[in-house]
Amino acid sequence: MSDIVVYSAKKIITMDVNRPEATHVAVRNGEVLAVGDARCADQWGTVTHDDSLKDAVLMPGFIEAHAHMMAGAMWEYAYAGFHDRIDPDGKLWPGLTDIDAVIGGLSDYAQGLDDDAPLVGWGFDPIFLKTERLSKKHLDQISTTKPIAILYSNLHLMCVNSVALEMAGFDHTTNAEGVIKGPDGTPTGELQEMAAMFPVMRRLNIDFRGLSQKETSIRAYADVSRRAGVTTVTDLYSEMEEEDVATMLRVTGEDSYPLRIVPALGAMSGPKAIADKAEALAKRSTDKLRLGAVKLMTDGAIQGWTARIKSPGYVGGQPNGIWNTPPEVIFQLVEELNSRGIQMHIHVNGDEAAEVALNAIEAALRKHPWMGHRHVLQHCQMMGRDLFTRAADMGLCCNIFANHIYYFGDQHVAMTIGVDRAERMDGARSAIDAGVNIAIHSDAPVTPMAPLFTAWCAVNRQTTSGRTLGHAQQITVQEALFAITLGAAYTLKLDREIGSIQTGKRADFTVLGDDPTKVDPMALKDVPVLGTVFGGRVHLL
Amino acid sequence: MKPRLPLAVVSGYLGAGKTTLINRLLSEPHGLRLLVMVNDFGAINIDADLLAEAGDDTMTLTNGCVCCTMGADLYMAIGDVLDRDTRPDYLVIEASGIADPARIAQVAMAEPDLVYGGIATVVDGQTYASLVADPLIGAQIERQTSVADLVLISKLDHPDPALTLRLGVQSRAAVVDLAERNALAPLLFGGAPRSIPMVKGQAHAPYVTWSSSSPIQLDHEALLAKLNTRPAGLFRFKGFVAGPSGRGWEVHCVGPAVSVKPISQAQGTKVVGIGLEGQINPEQIENWWLD
Repeated sequence: MSDIVVYSAKKIITMDVNRPEATHVAVRNGEVLAVGDARCADQWGTVTHDDSLKDAVLMPGFIEAHAHMMAGAMWEYAYAGFHDRIDPDGKLWPGLTDIDAVIGGLSDYAQGLDDDAPLVGWGFDPIFLKTERLSKKHLDQISTTKPIAILYSNLHLMCVNSVALEMAGFDHTTNAEGVIKGPDGTPTGELQEMAAMFPVMRRLNIDFRGLSQKETSIRAYADVSRRAGVTTVTDLYSEMEEEDVATMLRVTGEDSYPLRIVPALGAMSGPKAIADKAEALAKRSTDKLRLGAVKLMTDGAIQGWTARIKSPGYVGGQPNGIWNTPPEVIFQLVEELNSRGIQMHIHVNGDEAAEVALNAIEAALRKHPWMGHRHVLQHCQMMGRDLFTRAADMGLCCNIFANHIYYFGDQHVAMTIGVDRAERMDGARSAIDAGVNIAIHSDAPVTPMAPLFTAWCAVNRQTTSGRTLGHAQQITVQEALFAITLGAAYTLKLDREIGSIQTGKRADFTVLGDDPTKVDPMALKDVPVLGTVFGGRVHLL
Repeated sequence: MKPRLPLAVVSGYLGAGKTTLINRLLSEPHGLRLLVMVNDFGAINIDADLLAEAGDDTMTLTNGCVCCTMGADLYMAIGDVLDRDTRPDYLVIEASGIADPARIAQVAMAEPDLVYGGIATVVDGQTYASLVADPLIGAQIERQTSVADLVLISKLDHPDPALTLRLGVQSRAAVVDLAERNALAPLLFGGAPRSIPMVKGQAHAPYVTWSSSSPIQLDHEALLAKLNTRPAGLFRFKGFVAGPSGRGWEVHCVGPAVSVKPISQAQGTKVVGIGLEGQINPEQIENWWLD
């Protein structure tokens, strides 16, 4: 058998302007050898034809340029969110849209647990339940003998039942800020922030550290990615302890592991120490584990009122948000990392945070000019045309949190920044028009990983309630598809290898059941993902 | 059952002198086995010799939050310490320069195995006024002093009464200039029985100490009411208070903070108090408690 395989497809959308469409792609040694028709590789020697994908549409493997490995491991717990979601094994978890559904859904789940196992749920979002707050009263209907803890989707709150309250010693005498009490003076079951959640987590063995470091998490991440058609994914805040790196190298190094991971080291120590560590990690990169970038935090989240935003601030009069890294430290980190030639991904939700990051990068580039640094601003939710233009001026990329429009857009209108700024948030149109290279992302597990859904958000800008939030910021289907392939590859400095189906690039494809450029743009999110091809290996669902 | 572990948080903006303070605490002869956790951006400058000498240890942490400020790592590390076979006598957490120390200290209010040891915020006397006026970071720094139980002013050659007054009004905490005290452990760790004699033995005891054993019994409500009327200069108050029907309470007051946790068997009521000299005397404490 020849080592050249020519795959036929209903259509191949290459994202390469030289040959935007094709019907065949030839693969050798995990690399694209030729693109064109059935005879495209004939001049290379004997070929084997493979028609197993002949009814599918192929695109370059999707790239999720902002997600977290926790996205796979959360499924160790019961899903209790409002929106439908699919787990790594392909099982649909229907959204629990009212309190009765939450109780019913979790009761069913509890049936399958061992007698002495706690029931832990995740993804619950009170913002969608208008009637009443979830309390121990509801969870006690599920069990009065088994401890129950339901984590909210923002991971800052949980609700527990009476058994769990008792295990943690919470009663009417408890005097801790986050242990919420009802009119009768006893805890309601709602626990706010880690300090109050910790006593329950400790006794129920809920350990967030394990969620992104275990071998099973790395494998679950590949399953989640494959279901979304993703062949290259980021893990944008990784601690990269020696033990974790060794595990990741081993698991991703297996031939059958169908995913390339690009972790970014979290910048939580001094500038020099973090730069040294990033440099050392870069030397250990493999094809499927690309090390060396660094993630910087700046502010918090808009929906938690912790993002740093510019005047006139939050519509409810809430105080401005908080810095997770002090501005002076942002300047020090950016200067050191830039001077050492280390690419940075910088979290900026609020516009004030974006401005501080831009100021820091501008100062760093004046001291240590670097053509082609491709530092990336991440989320970019409140950047207007002015800030995008500055980003373009400096050669920065912007990775825009398009999924926010659907999941939180209504809340931003009503509760955080008001309608006019919400209509221009996650402004992909302004960014492209200003000349910025953009990607768009899910921030999984904050929202589900599904690049076609993310593209749908950027194209249609529809919120959960069905409102179109800011026509002016809509982008075209072609632009959105670029942002989840070649645009995203550019932000990771991987556009030489991936992002388009083109001779000489990796044979990474997304296998689709329909043509995303031909369906109604409102149906973009419904185009079926049938699987992926990774380095020439087919991984169908 | 292992004894509850007291937890104190040392906060303050970058460069305020948190690490200097911790090194100073490590070098004082308080006889306590400290465990220091450092959660910060910079290099760790805890003096390794001091740690070795005192048989203490230190842990450094990063912040594993994916989206904002959850900081799960810190709490998991606290869990690890609680699970040790032998717990240290005191856990001191050096918060990051921009952390809200109350978010960390609240865990000692919530967790049954921890005891609230208070928030000490270090303020650089030379730069505080300009820092809190900074439009970007000012509010966050001001919050660190607002929630403090003890404010420690560093880096001043001469005490600044105006700054002391300002910080006192803002925080309701005791405000102390670090240059004016030779022993800090009694303030940070309270009148632990082992440390009190050391303080008394000093030529210029800067602290007033008081202790009491009595048959007093108080239920939860009465105890809280009592604590709410404690004299202003009583900086620390702690001990065990017997309650009705054989149960009782472990009490810890630091500055304005009050923590009361249940204990299963109270062997009488034994409490100690500590205040700053010149602000209170033992008779005042005695009168209040036995009233």
